[in-house]
Amino acid sequence: MFTELNSILNSTPDSFTKGEFILVSDRQSDASFLIHHFLSFYLRAQCKVCFLGLGQSFSHYCAISQRLGVSLAQAKEKGQLIFLEGLKESLSILIPQEGHTENQAMDFLRDPTVGLRSLYKFVQSSLNSSSSGEDGTEEWGPSVLLVDDISVLLSLGVSARAVLDFSHYCKATVCSQLQGNMVMLVRCDGEDEGDDGDDEGSELLLRGLTHQCSLTLHVQGLPTGYCRDIHGQVEVCWRRRQGDGQHTQKKLFQYKVNDKGASFFARGTSSAVL
Amino acid sequence: MLSELLQGTDTGGFLVIQDSSSCTGRHLLKSFINAALNREENIHVLGFEVSEEELAEGLNTSAPQRLHFHNAYSDPLGWTDHLTFTVHQFCFDELTHLVKQTSQSKPATLVIDSLSWILRHQSPPAVCKTLQQLKRGGAVRAIIGLLHADMHQKGTVGSVCHLTTSVITVAPGMKGDEAVAKITKRSKSGKVMQYEEIFSIKEDLTVIVQSKPSHLEHKQTDPEEQQMDPTAHLTFNLRLSDTERKAKEKLALPFVFSKEKKTALLHSGQGSGRILYEPDANDDYDQEDPDDDLDV
Repeated sequence: MFTELNSILNSTPDSFTKGEFILVSDRQSDASFLIHHFLSFYLRAQCKVCFLGLGQSFSHYCAISQRLGVSLAQAKEKGQLIFLEGLKESLSILIPQEGHTENQAMDFLRDPTVGLRSLYKFVQSSLNSSSSGEDGTEEWGPSVLLVDDISVLLSLGVSARAVLDFSHYCKATVCSQLQGNMVMLVRCDGEDEGDDGDDEGSELLLRGLTHQCSLTLHVQGLPTGYCRDIHGQVEVCWRRRQGDGQHTQKKLFQYKVNDKGASFFARGTSSAVL
Repeated sequence: MLSELLQGTDTGGFLVIQDSSSCTGRHLLKSFINAALNREENIHVLGFEVSEEELAEGLNTSAPQRLHFHNAYSDPLGWTDHLTFTVHQFCFDELTHLVKQTSQSKPATLVIDSLSWILRHQSPPAVCKTLQQLKRGGAVRAIIGLLHADMHQKGTVGSVCHLTTSVITVAPGMKGDEAVAKITKRSKSGKVMQYEEIFSIKEDLTVIVQSKPSHLEHKQTDPEEQQMDPTAHLTFNLRLSDTERKAKEKLALPFVFSKEKKTALLHSGQGSGRILYEPDANDDYDQEDPDDDLDV
């Protein structure tokens, strides 16, 4: 959890806006440090978290979360964290073995044109089970869905259209029905795609998700090139009208990722410069 | 022009609000809905993209029986078997049935949020056909649709906008609150007029139209929250006094090729150093003839 980012977004684990769809995007950069922030943030806020880890293994997230002071293994045991390890589960579909039941959620690997309905069902069932109220389970806070990252689905053959339908359904269930939050990471490779509006492609997916979300964090490298002390810039854009009538607000920050977190500062005020 | 459009489209009118990911057109769409509610019209909203609560925020709710929200947001594809409006129901017969079911005597205005959602699942010709049938049929008096222009190919956007009587394209404006609206209006006689206006939307969804944009205006930067003064909080002094500033401005930079330098180089001045050279025999050393005795 990065304290500076919390103050930028005006949220703390005790009080944050509910029903938000936060889109984290990057262009020729790596925004996954923000996913680690949100993961530790929501676990600390005692929320029930469903994490679709499509890009990395569970032990990767465990190791990084440990440095941020959160134990994923413990959260998983307590039932607070439901983790879909995409890399491992995909093997159950691609190389079926007797004795191992395949995970329905990754059904789209067999036939990408079918869409992500079964993945959505997985998300729905894992976040809805908290309302069953079994004995011995703790009362968790609002449900949260984290996806890292959703562009992987494009490379697996799923069309941008199907991914947008999936994110729509997740938003309808998680944000509107359960009044929880949703964070998705989408990555663009920044290539020029000529005439915009082509059916496939990460740019279309990014634009579609931007229309759906209420807060975007766009990570890019510095326009002037590589810098050892400043790793890039983050543009935060609030899309939904705030309660005090302010229109969509945009703020630009620069950041540096270090061992135990990341620091954010206004442009030109990095500690290496001043 | 924007205010005139807000005051009510003619019967059979089809208005499309085009927006992009950098500037959302939903606030303008809500202003249109609010204006129609204030005129005591019946409105049917096909809500695909946002929930009813989010769309109803800020709308005039004094007469809820006039605003009919058809929930196409929770389950538009039939994945969870809720009995809500699905995208496959977007055809002339179903829509006429839907509107006639709940409407009173006056024909209603149909608001579609958004057309992009439908275009993602139905082919553009089918959508255009349905829209044209709705325009001609009597159940619906006017149609207002929201279209995300950056989500489709130019041809698709063009085909849908061809059916319209007016198109409003929303783009971000110079200042934070403002947006630029480019309006194309087709009148019944076939004449097409284009307008460009700057507008902003207040909290109660009224639209304020400012003067037309001037191309000579420089882009105004948003007032930053903190004005960072880099010369503050330092252990050394970086500020300049007035005399120091004047001296700094007078200083000629060393590598700037100014007129004075050019004349100084071309005409060497009097009293400047001159080089006098008298050839010395020892300087005449020839590599190929070191003893200077070859007869070449």
